[in-house]
Amino acid sequence: MSDLALDVVQQALNGFLFGSSYALIGIGFTMIFGVMEKLNLAFGVTALGGAYVALLVFQLTRGPLVLVFLAAVLAAGLIGLIVEFTCFHWMPRDYPLAALMATVGMLFFIEEVIVHATNGMPRAFPAPLGQLMLEVGPWLVRGDLAFMFLVSLLVMAGLWALVYHSRLGLATRAVSQQPVAAQLCGIAPRRVNAAVFVITGLIGGVAGALIGSAVGNLSPLLALPLTVKGLVTAVLGGLGSIPGAIAGGLLLGVVEYQALYFFGIGYRDMVTYLLLFAFLVGRPGGLFGSKGV
Amino acid sequence: MEFYLSLLTLFGFRILLGLSAYVVILTGQISLAQAGFYAIGSYTAGAATAIWGWPIVPAILLGGIVGGIFGFLVGFPALRVRGLFLVIATLAFTEIVRMVFLNLKYTIRVGDRTIGPAAGEGFRGITYYFENGWSSARIMAFTWLFVLAVLLAMWIMDRSRAGAVLRAVGEDELAASSVGINLTTAKVAAMTAGGFVAGLAGALYAHYASYVSQEDFGVLLATFAIAYALVGGTGSVLGPVAGVLFFSLLIDGLRFLGDWRNLLFGVLIIVMMNLRPHGIVDVGLIRRLGLWRRPPRKAAYARD
Repeated sequence: MSDLALDVVQQALNGFLFGSSYALIGIGFTMIFGVMEKLNLAFGVTALGGAYVALLVFQLTRGPLVLVFLAAVLAAGLIGLIVEFTCFHWMPRDYPLAALMATVGMLFFIEEVIVHATNGMPRAFPAPLGQLMLEVGPWLVRGDLAFMFLVSLLVMAGLWALVYHSRLGLATRAVSQQPVAAQLCGIAPRRVNAAVFVITGLIGGVAGALIGSAVGNLSPLLALPLTVKGLVTAVLGGLGSIPGAIAGGLLLGVVEYQALYFFGIGYRDMVTYLLLFAFLVGRPGGLFGSKGV
Repeated sequence: MEFYLSLLTLFGFRILLGLSAYVVILTGQISLAQAGFYAIGSYTAGAATAIWGWPIVPAILLGGIVGGIFGFLVGFPALRVRGLFLVIATLAFTEIVRMVFLNLKYTIRVGDRTIGPAAGEGFRGITYYFENGWSSARIMAFTWLFVLAVLLAMWIMDRSRAGAVLRAVGEDELAASSVGINLTTAKVAAMTAGGFVAGLAGALYAHYASYVSQEDFGVLLATFAIAYALVGGTGSVLGPVAGVLFFSLLIDGLRFLGDWRNLLFGVLIIVMMNLRPHGIVDVGLIRRLGLWRRPPRKAAYARD
């Protein structure tokens, strides 16, 4: 095999593994949209906030990795609940723009809290696996990326079990498909909404901690890129579709790494956005979109 | 005095930007492309005076027109996508524009200075005001001439049949098209007008700042454009003005709070949206103030 082909496959592999974190962020955007038909622009910072709390716990206790990840998950779940209460709970149901704008306010607020607490400087995040590399044939797999991929798979499996094999999942799907009919069947939509915010928050916490440990540090500058990548992922997959978000995240990861390899950092995002624009115009429903948008 | 003049000039750019988002929001579309149009307007007008030696007024208008052309072009693909998908599509547009300017190199030498867009270093030397010895007061008055003209035009548009058509599309597309409103015309027209106004704002800003760089025209600027309109309210053209005042008073008026100001900023947006979800100046307020003239009792109909 030529060097070029080797490199291309290597980049695709890295992108595929890293894309699993985009998939988790995308799931958060897509689930909230699926249930409420509203966009939560504060989801990226929810994940980031969780990661920062984990970092704080690590600095205070130097505790084991499990504790650090647990802190991220719980904190992000709590932030999710706060976002629901402040930005969605009291808003008129038929005017999604009010909630959209409120979540922008929340984005600014959490970002500023982070800047305030850290003086805006990037902070090192513990890397559980260090510089571990696995050799697979002629290719190298970064240990932390493989770890990220495995944990993401676990989270996705857990989510699948929750959505398709639990009463809460049943209620969530009911509200998502027919909010009024669900209410008539005795499901409280507000409680389901709050539950969805907590669940997506938990997922966001995992994603934040994984990204922190793979990148090696956290910075408030991550807030906007995380938001944008999550949105792109959700749209590529078709807003509201969880399998779509997974496929979209992996696709985005692969495309980004290939664009980085072929065109360099200056053009990487441009390639991503051109792909997105083409996708939106040519296939507005996304990869798995069933609704004609 | 200088400080207040320059603040007033800044208000002008922000109001224009808010109005450009406002006219698009009337049709129920949320566009993050306004920052892209703003960037295009500022680079075009900057090149017109600094490189091609145009006088100022045609240069500013050129910025607006080129912004409008891009608005028209973005308007068509945007018809395929609606709602939140449009947010993402227009976000992609703004980012692509930014990337193009990040890589665009088109400079000339004037004496010992390099003028023009120099890729990542930004666009230096848009010094028309300085070269012609304009005072701050004159710059402010010149900017506000455009602001007032656009405000007046939109005020008239809002109270005419065109305004009713745009609002009808924004309220309910299906109902609007079933009474014969052409959705394509309405949406593309709104996008074109928004592109023109954002282009004007960018053109004026470039001459005020004398240096622009693609870094200024990102997602944040686009977010502020819609924030002016959404927090201010879409009941009337006064909405975006109220939005600009709200944000500007927060940004410049809470300076005494130091770092805490930025924290309060996000909280106040959340509080405002909970208190007045449809914005400060919503349709209800306009009705109560008696500023709302009922649209003529003639049914809207489509031209053949």
